[in-house]
Amino acid sequence: MNHQPFEDWLLEDESLTIQQQRELHAHLRSCTSCSAIAASNMALHTKHLAIPLPGFTERFQPRLAAWKKDQLRRQAMGTVVLVAAGLALLYAGAGPAMLQAVRSPAAWMSNVAVYVLSVFTMASVAGHVGSVLLRGLSGLIPPGAGWAVAAGGFSLGVLWASMMRRRLRAPQGA
Amino acid sequence: MKDERELVAQAQHGSDEAFTALVEAYQTHVYNLCYRMLGEAESAEDAAQETFLRAFQHIQRYDHGRPFGTWLLSIAAHYCIDRLRRRRFSLTSLDDDEAGRVLELPDPAAPSPELETVRREQREQMQGFLQQLNSVDRAAIVLRYWNDCSEAEIAAALNLTVSAVKSRLHRARRELGDLWQEEGSRTNRARRPHESPAF
Repeated sequence: MNHQPFEDWLLEDESLTIQQQRELHAHLRSCTSCSAIAASNMALHTKHLAIPLPGFTERFQPRLAAWKKDQLRRQAMGTVVLVAAGLALLYAGAGPAMLQAVRSPAAWMSNVAVYVLSVFTMASVAGHVGSVLLRGLSGLIPPGAGWAVAAGGFSLGVLWASMMRRRLRAPQGA
Repeated sequence: MKDERELVAQAQHGSDEAFTALVEAYQTHVYNLCYRMLGEAESAEDAAQETFLRAFQHIQRYDHGRPFGTWLLSIAAHYCIDRLRRRRFSLTSLDDDEAGRVLELPDPAAPSPELETVRREQREQMQGFLQQLNSVDRAAIVLRYWNDCSEAEIAAALNLTVSAVKSRLHRARRELGDLWQEEGSRTNRARRPHESPAF
């Protein structure tokens, strides 16, 4: 038998039959290259675990505590920044209106009433226009199209959900 | 020790005690992987601690369908690979054992101190050779031989396909064999001048 199958057996490092082992041992006596791979494989198989110095867990605790403290600090900083930004936005947006309310409350209240009234009017006009448009469009759309649109939307939703599921499942390392 | 699943579930609900029990249970395997990858006791300790910290941070993402140990080793392997990529120069590791900073589990099968010495030398030699492998190949070899991971588990841990793992293991074994052979011929050359002349 030539050299190649023996080298393949060694590089695959899988279990061999008794007969294969005999043939391999005979080959190893004459082949330095295969002997080196065999010796290296043997060294790999003599598993010796390097162990950490005693007190690994005790040394981990302060690290974890420091990380938690840092997280808390970051959260507090984030809250402060958010609140400050919110207050600044509120001041920028509602500042003039608040000033007006303090200076002349009657004018401010009438402004608010006009604003609320205009919002309601706009909403009712939009509703009316929408219903007219729908009525007009319903005559143009063939019967069954609504079902087709709904089925299409549903299929797209299912496709999106399955893609998201696959994407979330794939990588597991942190 | 409580059931691992239970401990993981408790850790996911924020129990520090449960997570500490998991650190106790897996510290050796994680540390060993980091040591074989980085080749230095100090870096290995730091990397192992960082691995557990990352595991704590991302424990909510852990999928119960997968062994917890493999998930931890995956974090450790990725961290070490990143760290090695950032490293500008290689480090030798053989002095660490001499300095007594690395402890190894005793081999109960060792029949004599002489044989144990030879085996120890071989282990140190192998540790030196490991440092010369590509970082992903090294991770694959360590997971395969020190952590008894299957090819599928290695593939999952290193985000590779099973055939890529097979090919990496194949290449790494060949490289280790070549290094072993080189070292053998170097040792023989070094011994020759001290041998008696053949006349």
